[in-house]
Amino acid sequence: MCKEYLQRAYLFLDGEVLSETERADIQIHLEECTPCLDRYGLEQDLISLIGRLRTATPCPDALKMRLGSLLDNA
Amino acid sequence: MAEVTPVRLAGDGKKRFQEDALPLLDSLYAGALRMTRNPADAEDLVQETMMRAYRAFDRFEAGTNLKAWLFRILTNAYINTYRKKQREPQKVSSDELEDFDLYRELKNHDPQFTKSPESIVMDSVMDSDIMAALDDLPEQFKLAVVLSDVEDFTYAEMAEIMEVPLGTVMSRLHRGRKALQKRLWELARDRGIGPGGHDQPSGDEMSKDDGTHP
Repeated sequence: MCKEYLQRAYLFLDGEVLSETERADIQIHLEECTPCLDRYGLEQDLISLIGRLRTATPCPDALKMRLGSLLDNA
Repeated sequence: MAEVTPVRLAGDGKKRFQEDALPLLDSLYAGALRMTRNPADAEDLVQETMMRAYRAFDRFEAGTNLKAWLFRILTNAYINTYRKKQREPQKVSSDELEDFDLYRELKNHDPQFTKSPESIVMDSVMDSDIMAALDDLPEQFKLAVVLSDVEDFTYAEMAEIMEVPLGTVMSRLHRGRKALQKRLWELARDRGIGPGGHDQPSGDEMSKDDGTHP
């Protein structure tokens, strides 16, 4: 059933470990079912959209120094 | 600022903490900033996290994931201290959420999929929109989405950080992403994406965010 394939496809998308067989099953289904492939692609793109927020602001040096000395004296 | 209780780890423990935990400060600070949205609060949160972690470090199991462990402390500190200060997130009705299907919305909008569907949404939202949409989610949904899609934690690590079973992690992540898609779709629609999305800028435009918005 499409819904079940998709649920497992999302595990795959999230980098969760799947068996060789499970991966092959998903692969075959996505190749054969255009709506599922489209949904999969959509989800993938939205995840990378959220990933845009990954651009990190580094920890301010003042805080690093303060923590360094708090720990030195702890 | 929480008062720092003097503690004494054995010399080795202290050295190990400094060597292993301090290099993770950038990740922690970035995470804290995403949660609090405010540099001063983020600094306080990181400091509180590090001091709590230091005091509890003898309970950290060497060889397990230190970043996940620190994020659990950070998350707890955030939920206990800072969330109370912030406004209640808008409630997302479960029924409303279950009914929403971005794929279907996009199909209705452009039956031929003449333009890649995701770009319809992606072209019209900015990073600040994503952040604002995340902020509107119930805290546990937001946390799941951020831990997975921004911080790149695995489901198992998230279960450890949020202290819930794996199934709960997956359901919060699924519902959080769905709620987020709904908000972004509504935003894109409100900005007047035209039929078929032909009036939108090309895909090259989508990464043009100069980082100047808060």
